[in-house]
Amino acid sequence: MAISSKRITINLMLIAVVAIIPVVEKYVPLGWHISDPMTDVFVYAILGLGLNILTGFTGLLNLGVAAFAAIGAYVFAISTCEIYPFQLGFWSALGLTMAAGALAGFALGAPTLRVRGDYLAIVTLGFGEIVKDVLVNMDSITKGTQGINPLPPPTLFGTELSGNGQYWLFMGIVLVVVAGARRLERSRIGRGWISIREDELASRAMGIRPDHAKMLAFATCASLAALAGALTASRLSSSGEPGNYDFQISILALCIVIVGGLGSVRGVLLGALVMVGMNSIVLVKLTELIGGSDAAPASALADAHGVQWALLFIKTWAQNVLMSPTNWKFLVFGLALVLMMIFRPEGMLPARGTKEDAPDGDDGASGATAVANKELRP
Amino acid sequence: MTAILEVRNVTMRFGGLVANEHVSMSVQDGEIFAVIGPNGAGKTTLFNAITGIYEATEGEILFEGKEIRREWSRRTSVRAYAVGIATALVAVFAINATALWQGAIVEKYVYAQPFPWREAMATLVTTMRASGFWTTWGIGLIGFVLGRLGYGAIWRAQRRTPDLVARAGIARTFQNIRLFAEMNLVENVLVGMDQHCRCGYWACLLRPPRFWREQATMHTRAFEFLKFVELADAAGSLARSLPYGHQRRLEIARALATEPKLILLDEPAAGMNPAESADLMRLIRRIRDRGITVVLIEHDMKVVMGISDRIVVLQHGKKIAEGTPEEIRTNPVCIAAYLGTEVVN
Repeated sequence: MAISSKRITINLMLIAVVAIIPVVEKYVPLGWHISDPMTDVFVYAILGLGLNILTGFTGLLNLGVAAFAAIGAYVFAISTCEIYPFQLGFWSALGLTMAAGALAGFALGAPTLRVRGDYLAIVTLGFGEIVKDVLVNMDSITKGTQGINPLPPPTLFGTELSGNGQYWLFMGIVLVVVAGARRLERSRIGRGWISIREDELASRAMGIRPDHAKMLAFATCASLAALAGALTASRLSSSGEPGNYDFQISILALCIVIVGGLGSVRGVLLGALVMVGMNSIVLVKLTELIGGSDAAPASALADAHGVQWALLFIKTWAQNVLMSPTNWKFLVFGLALVLMMIFRPEGMLPARGTKEDAPDGDDGASGATAVANKELRP
Repeated sequence: MTAILEVRNVTMRFGGLVANEHVSMSVQDGEIFAVIGPNGAGKTTLFNAITGIYEATEGEILFEGKEIRREWSRRTSVRAYAVGIATALVAVFAINATALWQGAIVEKYVYAQPFPWREAMATLVTTMRASGFWTTWGIGLIGFVLGRLGYGAIWRAQRRTPDLVARAGIARTFQNIRLFAEMNLVENVLVGMDQHCRCGYWACLLRPPRFWREQATMHTRAFEFLKFVELADAAGSLARSLPYGHQRRLEIARALATEPKLILLDEPAAGMNPAESADLMRLIRRIRDRGITVVLIEHDMKVVMGISDRIVVLQHGKKIAEGTPEEIRTNPVCIAAYLGTEVVN
């Protein structure tokens, strides 16, 4: 309704481009192998979209989103793995996972409704660590650091999917989540969330119930994060070890949201592509290009003595550590964040116009805008 | 005429500071009522007490003859006990988690064989029994008490919140404009209309026909509110891009969108030039003509004297005078409060 035909065309083209990547890869042998890391991008996009609802729309900083992903992964693992009697199918397990995620979101949200800003960030940070520790220590249920495996792969209409099938399935799920996030954003629920972010007191005085709205945001965020966790677990056929769901993941998800643009659904997608793509595509390719594996052989080091040995050692070390761009990722992330904060603090694709002006006619940033513009046209 | 708002003996204390002391006033249905006084007289504090942002230290505030408060209903009671029981269950299962899992799941399940659910449930019960009376019941009791009391504490702290007051029919604007800056004009107004929307979370997500019907009506009505304050031309622009005077009008439109019976305007004419404040006076009269009672705080005497039916004067948190504009204009106490007393040598 709100989207112009031009915007629809562009979106469809983008979707088509992303969708044919695996096909192109198969028939055009460039040796890129990006469809696998792209599946990671999809999962992180879901995580980012979930976090965007809590942090971007509602303005509640969550530093523990990885904990919800962990809960999702383990609920999915326990309910599907053959070592336990439940053995649900992929889709019913996914549904259960999202419900469990929402419940966990409620459980964390309810007692922390009154906690704001930095304090909420600390609470969520603590929650992340607690969940990780619980998963490690409840080892009779979660198998501790081994993780639960093997898990069944994703299925669709009874067919097990692998490779490209998974790629397209995950992409489809991202599209559904995007549609859901935009629908919520452009309804009274989303308006309630955004009004709380903008000015909680004013929104209360207008009759918005902040507790209600915040709980919904928490539950939605947690449920999407759990979905992301479950999808990863299914793809890797293992819940992974609890240590995989650490603070780093939460921060990466937050970076995705901030770099893309807080509160912007399109921004989160771009953020996921840039941050995760940088991590698992660009840096990996760079490493291959530079040839980080061509380090001086250990035998050369064994034969050398004195100054020669020292020089050779330094060279080897430098080649191993510095010449491998995969080790640069935190440098690149850090630099990217600092530059973003200086030059474009609102993100790459901000939710609203950055200038002091009205959104343009075909922007369709919101249903109301479009209606407004339509109404105003003679 | 009946009193729509009655403030009885309200005292607001912040530690040692007394912002309002035994203030009483009674606003009649359908009138324009002004609260004036020098800076720091406690006018905004009184507004905050009325709208539930503060809880009055003493006294009561009646709206349409009764206090706006959440009552402890049967439903609240049921919810409180449900939360208590849920906490208890979580606590009991959490404390026995490993043993229960081991006994009921791990030891019963043989790979690739149907799982004996009934036996597992029986084991669950026996394991619970075996874990000792106090570990189960004691923890359960602690969980129940914590959950029940926690719910009660939250309920108690929220007996009179701004959202409840707004839903009861009192809307307000703020002295320092508090619009939703990143939202456009229509959305700002739509937030005000939120309480009249019937679509819930799932309806907004799945969008059945009734969602679209409601959205259409809501947008039309939002436009009517914007037209009422003469801002419909800028409907699509962001609130923060509006000039100051327009922002004040948008705040009024947003407050009207809650469809209140009483609207509190906190210094609506602040920072306006004479032409703008004349417009504002017309607007306030039109609001009253819609059947909405208006209470305003204002420093601009032209506005106050021009539109108010009755005026209350506050100084140092106390009410020093009440009456029609004519009475206030000639009241020596008010003149003293504003201008100081004459010193005769």
